[in-house]
Amino acid sequence: MPIIMTVDPRSGVPIYLQLIEQIKRSVALGIMAGGEQLPTVKQLALDLTINPNTVARAYRDLERDGVIETSPGRGSFVRGDGAAQTTAQNAGADVARESFENAVREAKSLGLGRGAVREIFAASLDRWLPEGP
Amino acid sequence: MSTISISHLRKAYGPFLAVDDVSIEIPTGTVYGLLGPNGAGKTTTFKCMLGLAACGAGQIAYDGRPLAPSTFERIAYVPERAVLYDHLTVAEHFEMTRRAFKKFDVKRAVELVGQFGVDPAKRARALSKGMKTATMVAIAFAREPDFLILDEPTSGLDPVNQRSVLNLIINEATRGCTILFSSHQIGQVERAAERIAILQKGRLVLEGAVDDLKADRKIVEGILPSDDFSVNGFAADKRIARVDKQGRILRLTVVHEPDEIASQLGATGAQGVRVVDLNLEDIFIGAVAPDTSNAVVVEGAN
Repeated sequence: MPIIMTVDPRSGVPIYLQLIEQIKRSVALGIMAGGEQLPTVKQLALDLTINPNTVARAYRDLERDGVIETSPGRGSFVRGDGAAQTTAQNAGADVARESFENAVREAKSLGLGRGAVREIFAASLDRWLPEGP
Repeated sequence: MSTISISHLRKAYGPFLAVDDVSIEIPTGTVYGLLGPNGAGKTTTFKCMLGLAACGAGQIAYDGRPLAPSTFERIAYVPERAVLYDHLTVAEHFEMTRRAFKKFDVKRAVELVGQFGVDPAKRARALSKGMKTATMVAIAFAREPDFLILDEPTSGLDPVNQRSVLNLIINEATRGCTILFSSHQIGQVERAAERIAILQKGRLVLEGAVDDLKADRKIVEGILPSDDFSVNGFAADKRIARVDKQGRILRLTVVHEPDEIASQLGATGAQGVRVVDLNLEDIFIGAVAPDTSNAVVVEGAN
């Protein structure tokens, strides 16, 4: 299955980080299964009209992080041993943690106390992650 | 191997210093973007690289060797303004190029102009500006060069054809071709180029990998505890290129370790501290703005 990705080259977020984030997300959500082949560096660069070395850099980092493996001559694949999913899900937790950190820092700098922050957090949990029946 | 090395290039036209001590290294297979306002020295740099203008000082090397007649077999150049003979057809230009360059692939050239909707049977005088650009691009790319020097290779083209040129550039880079291109369309450079250099008034004012520049250069903003809060510490910080203060509002243009600076600003008791991403256009404007030479405190009227 072809992976669908969009990058925003005009964003201030480096393109290779946008690629890493989207591939990890696809793996964590199961859109890309273990053992699935990724497009070649050249193909993805042409599909997205971005620099090929930028794609290669993203693939190198994903390999270092244990999400994909590359074998010379065959291409790059999502790791099939479950390690990719674990890594990608951990990456999801990292993203969430960073968002929380920013939100709490912002709340503090706007003068909110612990109680007020807890209330917001509880309301947010109730809305997006309500307890099951 | 196909590396380009420009070292301490200098070129003056009379009293006007067009290029002033510019050094750039371009590794094999790199797409390198050259940016700068009009008259910054981009075209002069290209001309010196191609031997069309004599270097005042400094060296240009291809694979470590100076420009020689044999190098021209490996370099293709698309000048800012198309150089075509009005009375010749596009196909006749291909024939002329075939006779001059061993590796020129006529079939590929015909296929390339076809992609841009140019009829090879047309005379150059009947072509629009964009079609002339496309013809020059086709001639250059059909030579399978090791080095491509492109001066505004998308000028006059519509957005679809501009995208086609970018994809041709990307395709050549994956083949190992080393590409230097200039464009006023920063969005194109942001997509296709891995590294960039910004020239201003003949000098190199910024150089680096696009993704690294974006990761390092941010705006850090916050609201200071009081109007008379001293920002001298930030102004003296080498990681901060510019300090703007207006009343309690502080805006720092950070060139390194933005998160670290944000924490420091937070520690002063500043409120609403945030880190704002900069795209290449913001970075470009920041680099060529008149007063970015060092940390400057601008105390606006409040």
